[in-house]
Amino acid sequence: MSAVGPSAEATNRNGIFRQGYVPLPNYFDEMVQPIGEIRPHWRTFLDSIEALGSEEFHRRWAEAKDLIRENGVTYNVYGDPRGMDRPWKLDPIPMLVSSSEAAATEVGLIQRARLLDAILADLYGPQQLLREGWIPPELLFDNPGFLRPLHGVRPPGNRYLNFYAVDLGRDRDGNFCVLRDLTQAPSGAGYALENRIVLSRMLPEAFKECRVQRLAVFFRNFRDHLRSIAPRNRDNPRIVLLTPGPYNETYFEHAYLARYLGLILVEGGDLTVRDNRIYLKLLGGLQPVDVIFRRLDADFCDPLELRSDSFLGVPGLVQAARSGNVAVANALGSGIVDTPALQAYLPKLCRHLLGEELRLGSVQSWWCGDPLARSHVLANLQHLVIKPTFPTVRQGPIFGEMLTADQRRQLAEKIQARPRDYVGTEQMPLSTSPVLVGRSWQPRHLVTRVFLTAHEASFAVMPGGLTRVTATPETLVVSMQKGGGSKDTWVLASGAVSSFSLLRSPTQPVELSRGGGDLPSRAADNLFWLGRYVERADGLVRLLRGIVIRLTEKSGLAEAPELPALLRTLTLQTRTFPGFIGDSSEARLAAPEDELLSLIFDAQRSGSLVHTLQSVIRVAGTARDRISTDMWRVLNNMKLRPDNDWSDPPEVTRRTLSDVLDLLNETLITLSAFCGLAMDSMTRGQAWRFLELGRRIERGLHLVSLLKGTLTQLTANEGPLLEAILEIADSAMTYRRRYLSSLQVAPVLDLLIADESNPRSIAFQWASLSDAVDNLPRDPQQIGRSPEQRLVLAALTALRLCDIDRLAQASPQGVRPHLEELLNRLEADLPALSDTITRRFLSHLLPSRQLAFVGFDRHS
Amino acid sequence: MIYRISHTTRYTYSELVSLCHNLIHLTPRETPRQTCRRHGVSIVPSPAATWNGTDYFGNPVMFFTIQEPHQELTVTAWQTTEVFFAEVPLRQLSPPWEEVRERTASHPDAESLDAYQYVFESPYVKLTEELTDYALESFAPGRPFFDALLDLTHRIHQDFRYDSTATTVTTPLQDVMTNRRGVCQDFAHVGIGCLRALGLAARYVSGYLRTMPPPGQPRLVGADASHAWISAYCPGTGWIDVDPTNDVVASEDHIVLAWGRDYDDVSPIKGVILGGGHHSVTVSVDVLPIEPIDGVS
Repeated sequence: MSAVGPSAEATNRNGIFRQGYVPLPNYFDEMVQPIGEIRPHWRTFLDSIEALGSEEFHRRWAEAKDLIRENGVTYNVYGDPRGMDRPWKLDPIPMLVSSSEAAATEVGLIQRARLLDAILADLYGPQQLLREGWIPPELLFDNPGFLRPLHGVRPPGNRYLNFYAVDLGRDRDGNFCVLRDLTQAPSGAGYALENRIVLSRMLPEAFKECRVQRLAVFFRNFRDHLRSIAPRNRDNPRIVLLTPGPYNETYFEHAYLARYLGLILVEGGDLTVRDNRIYLKLLGGLQPVDVIFRRLDADFCDPLELRSDSFLGVPGLVQAARSGNVAVANALGSGIVDTPALQAYLPKLCRHLLGEELRLGSVQSWWCGDPLARSHVLANLQHLVIKPTFPTVRQGPIFGEMLTADQRRQLAEKIQARPRDYVGTEQMPLSTSPVLVGRSWQPRHLVTRVFLTAHEASFAVMPGGLTRVTATPETLVVSMQKGGGSKDTWVLASGAVSSFSLLRSPTQPVELSRGGGDLPSRAADNLFWLGRYVERADGLVRLLRGIVIRLTEKSGLAEAPELPALLRTLTLQTRTFPGFIGDSSEARLAAPEDELLSLIFDAQRSGSLVHTLQSVIRVAGTARDRISTDMWRVLNNMKLRPDNDWSDPPEVTRRTLSDVLDLLNETLITLSAFCGLAMDSMTRGQAWRFLELGRRIERGLHLVSLLKGTLTQLTANEGPLLEAILEIADSAMTYRRRYLSSLQVAPVLDLLIADESNPRSIAFQWASLSDAVDNLPRDPQQIGRSPEQRLVLAALTALRLCDIDRLAQASPQGVRPHLEELLNRLEADLPALSDTITRRFLSHLLPSRQLAFVGFDRHS
Repeated sequence: MIYRISHTTRYTYSELVSLCHNLIHLTPRETPRQTCRRHGVSIVPSPAATWNGTDYFGNPVMFFTIQEPHQELTVTAWQTTEVFFAEVPLRQLSPPWEEVRERTASHPDAESLDAYQYVFESPYVKLTEELTDYALESFAPGRPFFDALLDLTHRIHQDFRYDSTATTVTTPLQDVMTNRRGVCQDFAHVGIGCLRALGLAARYVSGYLRTMPPPGQPRLVGADASHAWISAYCPGTGWIDVDPTNDVVASEDHIVLAWGRDYDDVSPIKGVILGGGHHSVTVSVDVLPIEPIDGVS
């Protein structure tokens, strides 16, 4: 085949976009035929974006990129210090698949799913295939994914595969070919969905004109299937999505899919086994779980019977599955058939098990456990891709052509030493499609991941998928980790398109609670800490701002005699001793700039502002399925984020205090917006209540430390200090309205301690706490007040009975003993309340964290 | 020989355990060489859920859950089991070990296919070159399989020191090879690793030794606890049990509970607890011969 450039006609047609697009010679191009003609199924799309015009297209793409960033679509790449916050790379040009090609592939995909399901049923059952020699027994016996405790356990409905994915590539002639089967817990469907949402919003005209098939029906089928495998409560089963947690590379997708499918997102610690049944730990007690859609690899699912070093699973899960009390999708152990070594045996297996010819072939592969195959691989190393036989070995494919002669010899030695561990596969000459690079269209190789769900007695294919492209035209390695990107995959309809949608409008506030005790205890815990960290950051920003304003607008201590007290309070509040307290603090008090910048920007320093904001974002991430998109977006837009390179020392960035003021103001607005959205958009269920409890406790602590650090000791000229306190506590306006400009201690204390109408008074916090604890789930056997109610009542009563004038009194030694006594009491009561709540509602979380494996008996 | 065996394991915890899931292999399996007449397990506090079944390797297994808060757990298993005398194959008459390896790998029948699964790595037995090298000293080219097996058993007994403080349940095989110390579990894993490194099928046997030796014979090591040894496969002959801890071929003194690929498959008790703080374990095992069988020398 020779390279033929695009014809003049094709260039003129749809000119502005694909002008200069030259497909790579010798590869199948998805858009352009070898003669240079545009493929027919691309014409509508190109016409449509042509009509849009280049400027509009790029304007919309810029907007779409903002949307992606805001939504926080991330792909957590291992080892990246910025961890979960790398923006998801999406290409604005979709991958188009014609309806006829999609239909032809669909038949092959479904057949393949049925085949693998039948193989699983045999290997976890009679193992006839081993006995009769259809599958080499090594592929089972040596397979770390073969979970012997699950042998003989029939999954509900006898379906081993419920959710299956295939990586498809196209060869030079345009034939689809399977590169990889994913039968464990395939990822990517959520990303496909997110890509679709972004692109269909960006190009609604093209989307409509191309008659793109919707994804929603597929997901509805999947949800219906999950319901159908519930061993009981089939009308309204409780279905959970089991995730390894926020540190998993695809956690975003887990949260996204859970929300989209209406499943409860859980980690192993949220579940427990009683009487061989799975239960979800909720605030109100334990609720049975019927179906687990797992995104956790099976061997981690039960530390009792599977990997004993797993802290992510649920002890007793295997027994619950064995007893038929829970359906797990995919069935535990389904990962054994995703070995590339099996692919060579599929054509025969298909004839044997289904009585059909295999319609969708795999890339040619040779398992080195077979002596003939091994000699082929060793003789052709430079043309082949070498993969580990079992994917649990976390090692990427090795491309023979990229190795030096020496490396190739070493690889050959490794293969000869443990031949069973290696599979050689043909290197697919992957097809290409245009991607946007700057403003030009350039060819990149691609692989499309297609998803299937079990559906009625067979399977259904997602009309779409996740297309991934290579980073450069030279490489054939498709990897997100190595800088590749993704595309939305448009499967075009031949007939009418269903407009069915599972999606809620993004502006609709997300419902956070179904009331009652139906909130997972871990979610309550996360929200409680989210509230505490948000408020801690808020208090800290206010104090810092008060200090920075004084340092920048006044020329030092002479003009601002209140500064030392404020700086000492800062050290107290952030617990960053010695700071501005104690020995040698005089020097720092005189030149506080460095310490202040460190307390703002040093992400490694516990108690610093950036460190606190890091905690806010981390906890918000773990509570992602409980807070609204808008709340998440607000946090994501914050400038003062730990990942924005604030970590550089100030002498490098030459930041000064005057630059800082804007940042502090911006952060304050972000935090206020976040809390405002919580007030406005969260239903007043237990989720909101725990967020509120956290906030009120933390704000109470902030006020107590502010007053303790400034007013318990008398200072010479208290006027400026009182003004600063009112400003930091956001109560200056109220004060002025009430008392005009007469600044005195007693009215300040009244406003900040006792006035229950002031949202920034200590009494207001306790009154709110009182409301919240009165509405927490009650133990029905409880007579009278609960421990937390008693604690709140006592503190609130003390506040209501306190005599303000007495609090303001100073002793001859220059202290305010009554004020100090009250503040000390409250400083102890607030953490005590926090502990009481934790003990009462979150304590059954604690043992699961301390999950202890007892090695027990030992052979001697 | 008929034995009456009792095996008691008691766990005490410094703090309350609120939930505990366990899997136990404490009921003897039936083998051509032994038959169990009576057996039972008692558990205190009594479990909320129990299940009796057979594991992948054909061993009786029991699962139980205790849901009431407890600070002590006692599991007592007892059995009355008859063990028959087994003829020990003659050292020289087995086929060369290479032939054993080839015939296992080609697994011409159901028995050898079943044996073949014990050729591969398992969680506690990772294969290394060190194991291969150690094994090859016994497995010289062409040496009869059984002769080489007994030599390997003997060498492990000689080269490794019995030291119950040197290892724990989770000590990797690699460390045992380096330090040359351990207990029966470690010695069994060493032997299994050596055999598998050469492509031979070997399984881990969990069981007991008779406590009181016959008059005039020394008391065997490991008799006051549960014991473990090796079973190796030779096509035609079947499985042969050797005990590297005592350098003997397992016979009437060895009572089988279960077998699997390694300790992990057949540990007498394993469990996951919630809470509990620190724990301590005491184990006592009694193996009493109650009736010698006449007519067998």
